[in-house]
Amino acid sequence: MGELLRDDAELILAERRYQAIADILESTLTKGEGKWTYTDMFDHVFLHKALGIPIFLAMLWAVFQFTFSLSEPFMVMIGMIFGWLGGLAEELIANPHLASFVAGGIFDGLGSVLVFVPPIFMLFLALSLLEDSGYMARAAFVMDRIMYKLGLHGRSFIPMMIGFGCNIPAIMATRSIDNEKDRMITILVNPLISCGARLPVYVLIAGAVFGAKYAGTVIFSMYLLGMVLAIVMALVFRKTLFKGKPSPFVLELPAYVVPTAKTTILHMWERGKWFLVRAGTIIFGTVIVIWFLSVHPWAATAGGEMIGNSYIASLGHFLEPIVRPFGWDWMAAVALLFGFLAKEVVVGTYGILLGVEEGAVGASLVSLGLFTPLTGLAFMAFILIYVPCVATIGVVAKETNSYRWAAFVVVYLVALAFIVSGLIIGIGRLLGFS
Amino acid sequence: MITVAIIGNPNVGKTELFNRLTGMKQHVGNWPGVTVEKKTGTFTYRGEEIRVVDLPGTYSLTAQAADELIARNYIVDEKPDVVVDIVDGTNLERNLYLTLLLLELEANVVIALNRWDMVKERGIVIEVDKLSELLGVPVVPTVAPTGEGAEVLKEVVMKAAKEKEVRRKIVMGYGEDVERPIGVVEDAVRKDASLSGRYPPRWLAIKVLERDGQVLKLVEESPHRAEIMAAVK
Repeated sequence: MGELLRDDAELILAERRYQAIADILESTLTKGEGKWTYTDMFDHVFLHKALGIPIFLAMLWAVFQFTFSLSEPFMVMIGMIFGWLGGLAEELIANPHLASFVAGGIFDGLGSVLVFVPPIFMLFLALSLLEDSGYMARAAFVMDRIMYKLGLHGRSFIPMMIGFGCNIPAIMATRSIDNEKDRMITILVNPLISCGARLPVYVLIAGAVFGAKYAGTVIFSMYLLGMVLAIVMALVFRKTLFKGKPSPFVLELPAYVVPTAKTTILHMWERGKWFLVRAGTIIFGTVIVIWFLSVHPWAATAGGEMIGNSYIASLGHFLEPIVRPFGWDWMAAVALLFGFLAKEVVVGTYGILLGVEEGAVGASLVSLGLFTPLTGLAFMAFILIYVPCVATIGVVAKETNSYRWAAFVVVYLVALAFIVSGLIIGIGRLLGFS
Repeated sequence: MITVAIIGNPNVGKTELFNRLTGMKQHVGNWPGVTVEKKTGTFTYRGEEIRVVDLPGTYSLTAQAADELIARNYIVDEKPDVVVDIVDGTNLERNLYLTLLLLELEANVVIALNRWDMVKERGIVIEVDKLSELLGVPVVPTVAPTGEGAEVLKEVVMKAAKEKEVRRKIVMGYGEDVERPIGVVEDAVRKDASLSGRYPPRWLAIKVLERDGQVLKLVEESPHRAEIMAAVK
């Protein structure tokens, strides 16, 4: 049995099995005369060596353009409703504390987050369409080709795609990667994939400083930046912390199907409902804290009229020096601080601090001179990079079974956020933007 | 109650067919590994209740990957009455590999030859009866999205469950050079009654030759370990 004593017995047996299959098929199978199915035709284009990646990027761009344009009228509508309700509350509620709570806390704060229900659901509708039709598996395939060349594991791309929705299930999905090193790298870089919760901030800032015409493209560039940074960081980790070669990866491509309305809508709802759940829990809670800090001391702020005298302003001014180099003010400092809990809070914070109608938050960001296109872009990049939310950090700790790795993720993300935003500001100023 | 396990390569329409059989509602996605957790459902056929277990989608049954091990351990330990192997009719070369491994495990296999519509669309001709005869297992063409063939499949599964004890068992030969060591190890394995009672001896022998981690551990615990391992030394 000489030959079989070596380690390749497994290979020899596998070979013999394939030989047996070939023998069986020889007498039972006649292949078609190269007839092309729709799946073959689509794959010829979508998996094309040169065109595959540009097509994928074009698809993503279309997704964000679609998300932004289609949801805008609905956002204006919801904003108007909340604004009207807030005004009504101020008029009808006699107790000034309660009136401020309802108008400022609930309608301005939570309302400015709920305004983003339409874009979030539109994004998930578009992603569900891509996924249910079978295209997403192709995207994973074309990306795998470059990822593997870069020394990354192909299976890493699937958690990345899930991360566009939410980083938490994405990090949990890394369990399907059996190589421990590949898995750790994928977990560490996943927070850089821009999740749905960051979309409201992009929509708000990009819509305000770049206008409706370019907002979709700018938002797309944020998602692209996240992916590029994830790949770069993965490479860095591969070269430093987790040396070695990625294990090979097999991906089966399902046939294309026309997604049914029911499946797609159900899929969209399943992924979108977390936004509503978060809005009702962590976002609501945080926004109430921010509202409280913005109207107290009650006498000094004249019941929230003079926000400059509030606790939150003191906190903001204390933190302001850290963000001043980027051209951001104390409000941004506060928004980023509370944004640690959940990214949507950033939007809610501006809703409260500016105290204007939901639909007008973006406009006043510009009219008050809080953001220019350059500082706005840097702010979005910062939002993209620094820590997605506390829940994600919790999942990192759980999945790596180590608080140290969770702490490492926070530290490296915050450092990276400062570096990238600093570069944007620096390069922008060099080019003559302000 | 009759227990039926469903297995197949990833993305062959396994989850869809599972839903067809059990009528259970769940999302059908395209990601590989959509069936990570163990899903079970039931259906009634001619007054008899049948339990269906959805196993992870795998290409192989080695001890190296967690999902493959889950599927393999389920078949070995729980001994389901029937294992429905869902095979992509447009890609038999790759899909039948798992089928051969299931036959090695002496599972009571029924093949669902899925994507039958695509097979026809592509002009592929498969001689179903002959394939069934060569593999020694029933083969039923199916189209998971439309449910075509699902009723026939239920009937064939029932029949296979009833005739479990009298079914034909086809043994695939590996060629003389490999069969000789298999035979030697198999003889040694058979001396351990408890081991060869729990697992098919020929399968154990093949796995010993393949240096399968889990099986080597089993052998380690056997009183006849020296003899079994001597056969491959």
